[in-house]
This record gives sequence, C-alpha cells and structure tokens, in this order.
Amino acid sequence: MRPALGRLGWLALGGIGGFVVLALGAAAGLWAQAWDVPVGRPYMSPGTGAWLGTDALGYDLWAQALQGARVSLVAGGGGALGAVSVGGVLGAWAGLRGGWTDRLLSGATDAFAAVPPVVALLAVALALGPGVATVVLAIAATQWTGVFRAARAEGQRLRAADYYRAAQAMGAGTFHQIGWHVVPALRPVLLSALVVLFAHAVKVEALLAYLGASAPELPSWGKLLARSGSELARGVWWPTLAASAPLALLVLCAQVLADRWRRSVG
Amino acid sequence: MFAWPSASPPWLALLRRLVVAAASLALVATLVFATFEWLADPAALRLGRGASPEALTALRAAMGLDLPVGTRLLEHVARAMTFDFGTSHARGAPAGQLMLQALVPTLAYALPGWLLGTAAAIAGGLAAARRRRFDRALLGLSTLVISTSSVIVVALAQHLLAHRLGWFPVLGWPLGGAGTSPLAYVVLPALVWALLQWGPDVRHYRAVFERELAAPHLDGLRARGVPERRVARHVLRAAVGPIVARIGQRLAHVVVGSVVIEELFNIPGLGALLVAAIHEADAALVQAIAVATAAVTIVGQALCDGVVWLVDPRVRRGDVT
Repeated sequence: MRPALGRLGWLALGGIGGFVVLALGAAAGLWAQAWDVPVGRPYMSPGTGAWLGTDALGYDLWAQALQGARVSLVAGGGGALGAVSVGGVLGAWAGLRGGWTDRLLSGATDAFAAVPPVVALLAVALALGPGVATVVLAIAATQWTGVFRAARAEGQRLRAADYYRAAQAMGAGTFHQIGWHVVPALRPVLLSALVVLFAHAVKVEALLAYLGASAPELPSWGKLLARSGSELARGVWWPTLAASAPLALLVLCAQVLADRWRRSVG
Repeated sequence: MFAWPSASPPWLALLRRLVVAAASLALVATLVFATFEWLADPAALRLGRGASPEALTALRAAMGLDLPVGTRLLEHVARAMTFDFGTSHARGAPAGQLMLQALVPTLAYALPGWLLGTAAAIAGGLAAARRRRFDRALLGLSTLVISTSSVIVVALAQHLLAHRLGWFPVLGWPLGGAGTSPLAYVVLPALVWALLQWGPDVRHYRAVFERELAAPHLDGLRARGVPERRVARHVLRAAVGPIVARIGQRLAHVVVGSVVIEELFNIPGLGALLVAAIHEADAALVQAIAVATAAVTIVGQALCDGVVWLVDPRVRRGDVT
C-alpha cells in the first residue's frame, strides 16, 4: 500500500525528515554543540556572529533551536507511538471480541475520556516529575482514547467481514489472524492516527515545557518561548522567532502530511 | 414544524449512562488519589523538611493517614462522589469554594470566546463545503492555526494587538484597574480563545457539511425549485447531531479554561488555579478540579445527546446512532 501523497505531502515528509537529520546531528555532536556556553554579548541581534542572535545570557539561539528539535521529536514520536499502541491494541481487542469485553473496555475508555486532557496532562507531569519520559507518558496517557474508538470501529467491521469469518471457520490460529487480517485491516487507521497525534504531541510537549514540566537538562522550544515572552515586549524578537518558527514549521509539516495521508487513504 | 417526540425515552440507555457516569467519577477520584499517594505524603508536605518524626506521626494520625490505603481510598472516593473535597492545605479554604471562585473569571472570557468560535466555525464550515473558492483559503487558514502552538498564538496576539497597536489593555483583571471598562480586559482573551477553537472546529464542521450536502434528498429539494437559502436550512437541521456533539466536547474545555491564556493575561481563573495547585501538590484542590470538570463533561455530553434526541427524529427511531 503506497498512498499518493502529492507534491505537498512529500514536501512535508521531507521537512520532517530534515528535522530528524538536524536533531540526529545535534544529538551525535556534529553541530550545534555550543548551546550551553556563552558565545557573545547578551541580546546580539541575528546575523552579527550568531545566525539567530543570542539570548539574555549570550547563548547562541540557533544552536538552542537545533538542540530543541531533539526533545520535540522524541516526545512527539514517543507520545504518538505510545498512544497508538495502547489505543490500537485495546480498541482492536474490544472490537473483535464484542460482548462484555467490549462493554467493559468501552465503558472504561469513556470514563477515562471524561477527564479534561489538561487536567490529566498536568497530573501525570506532577506525579512523575519533569523529564522527557514524563512528557511521553503524559501524551500517551491522554491521547489513546481517540485511537481506541477508531480501532474499535475498524475491529467491529472486520469481525463482521466475510473473509475474516471464513478464515475463522477454516480454523486460522490467533497469530495467523492477527498477522494476516487484523494488522492489515487496522494499518491505515493507525498510521493516520500516528501522524495526527505526532503533530498534536509536539504541541503538547511545547506546552508542558512552557509550564516547566519537560526535560530540565535539554533546551526545548517551549522553554525558549517561556523565557522570550517578556523580551518580546522590549523589542527583542529573535528569541521568540528562534523558538516559534521551528515549532510551527514542524507541526505544519506533520499536519499537512496527516491531511494528505487521510485524503489518499480515504 | 417541530413535532414533539412520541417515543418514550430510552430508559435502558439512560441507566447505562448513569452507571458509566458514576464509574467515571469514581475512576477520576481514584486516579487523583493514586497520583498523590504515589507522589508525596501530605503530612510531610505540610510540616516541611525539618519536622520531627513524632510530630509527623501525630499529624498523620490526626489527618487519618495511618489508616490502611484501601479504607482511605474508599472514603476518599465516596467523599469526592458527593462533591465534598475537603480543605485545600495550601490555601486553608474549602477546595470546592476556591474552585467556584476561580470559575467566574474563566467563564468571563471562555464563554464568549466559545460562542464566537463556534458560530464562526459553523459559518466557515458551511461556506467551505459549499464554495470551492472559500474552501482553499479557509482550510489553509485553519491548518495554519492548528499548526501554531497556543503559546505562540496567545503571545503574538498579545504583543501585536495590545503592545504594538494598543487596541486592548495588555493584561490585568477588572478587580485591579480603574478607569478602563472591565469588558476591555475580556475582549482580547475571548478573541484569542475563539481563534484557537476555530482552527480545528472549522475542519470538523466542513467535513460534516460536506457529507450532508451530498445527501440525495437535497437534489430532490433543488429539483422542485427550492431556493438555496432554504436548502441550507435543511442541511443545518440534518447536521444538528454532529454539531451539538462537537459543542458538547468543547464544553469541558470552556470550564477548565486555557492555561496559556490565563498565564499570559494574568487572569485568576481555573486553569491558573490548576497549575498552582499542581505546583503546590494541593491534593484537595486538584481532586476538586478533576472531579468537577469530569462531571461537567459527562453532564454536558448527556445534555447534548438529549438535545439531539429531541431534535432529530432519526435518532429517536434508532435509524442512526
């Protein structure tokens, strides 16, 4: 299955790939290493020595923005993957089994979904303390309910499908059923949810970092944004730009990719 | 013509609803309890670091913390289910009362923003679904809003519209300043809220209207020469179910408010209170906010389903779910 993404879709995919390359390079130490040492005077404007200028302590903002991609990508990818795997497995189980399994799981999911996401996010962040793992867990814990519903609907459809019932009647084993029927049937829905949740999770990470619940030892776009608010009022616009431009660009790429994907899958 | 439903209410579904609602609230209360149980000892938090073990034991006994976990959990959940949340240890006032106080500022900007955002999103969704010309522009705009983190939207709106252009006061809550009308402080937060909500909602409504506009009965209307304006009314009526469902979903957001808007505009609302309560590890307050907002979500959803049941005869007959 290769959905036609269109030119814009491929461009978006390339954009995300570019972010991944930049983040990998920053993590491997190829570039953007001078993010936690002063490289010049405070508040140097862009172009004068540092590409994106410097912040209040004279740190290079370009290097910080590149390093920030690491946390955003890990939190976005990990959170989306966690939510899709939990929601996908539980939803497929509920949809395929039906009966009391379905009733109990659906009821529990409804109960879970009743908690406003902000409350749950902040509560998880509090319980686990600041860190990337916290952000991943918080995103996964609050976003899986939507995936559950989509996977459950798909599971119910599969359960009623002739070819699936025929396979069952022929005595197909559990693993054969999962590998041959369940996974291919759910793949479009889950992949689409993965991209949508990635875009969402990157935004949630920025929000949590803004509130001080993300990784304390690494720079992140949300933390940069939290510091740059008062500077913007004084006419120092480049810290805001360094934080918001990559954040908006990454989410835009993921969002466009998700739209193209959904349109081509149908 | 509005025909009053003759079918009797679906009692079994209502009963299931009640059971799920009670279970939801119990689950929320349990989750908050477990979070705090796992995180920290309320007695140690209250006494601080240099507390003697004797004082700690005495306070734990006084607070009832020496009872078994199961007993405390049951008691705790039972109290939360009756909306008795106890006293906030950081603020020394009943948690329920603190929460209601904070609800007023939140509703002051979130409610108008919610109404405005919903109206704009429904109008935009209908326009986008009907005319190709609007479609590209509105979808592009909506993608842009969705892609921009709420932190950026709020900060930019405040900077451009309040700092640079001076159209609105930058921040401050009506209680503080004299001279400016209290309304002025609410307008910009409400507008920002409406914009943030409009982004995802307009796509939702566009999809809903696109589906409804493809319905065959509209071709029948048009073939009989019914004007487009009247056709639009039929579309709206048929789309009531998904629209009301979306509005109900948004209700929970309105009640919590936006943490970012309240932080940047310095509004003493529920979102700000929640962040403060979590930083102070204030179990009673977090419990109150979590359980109350969950209750509002559940009641809101039930109300919306009731409205759809009343308005849409197809739902009453069980044709669509």
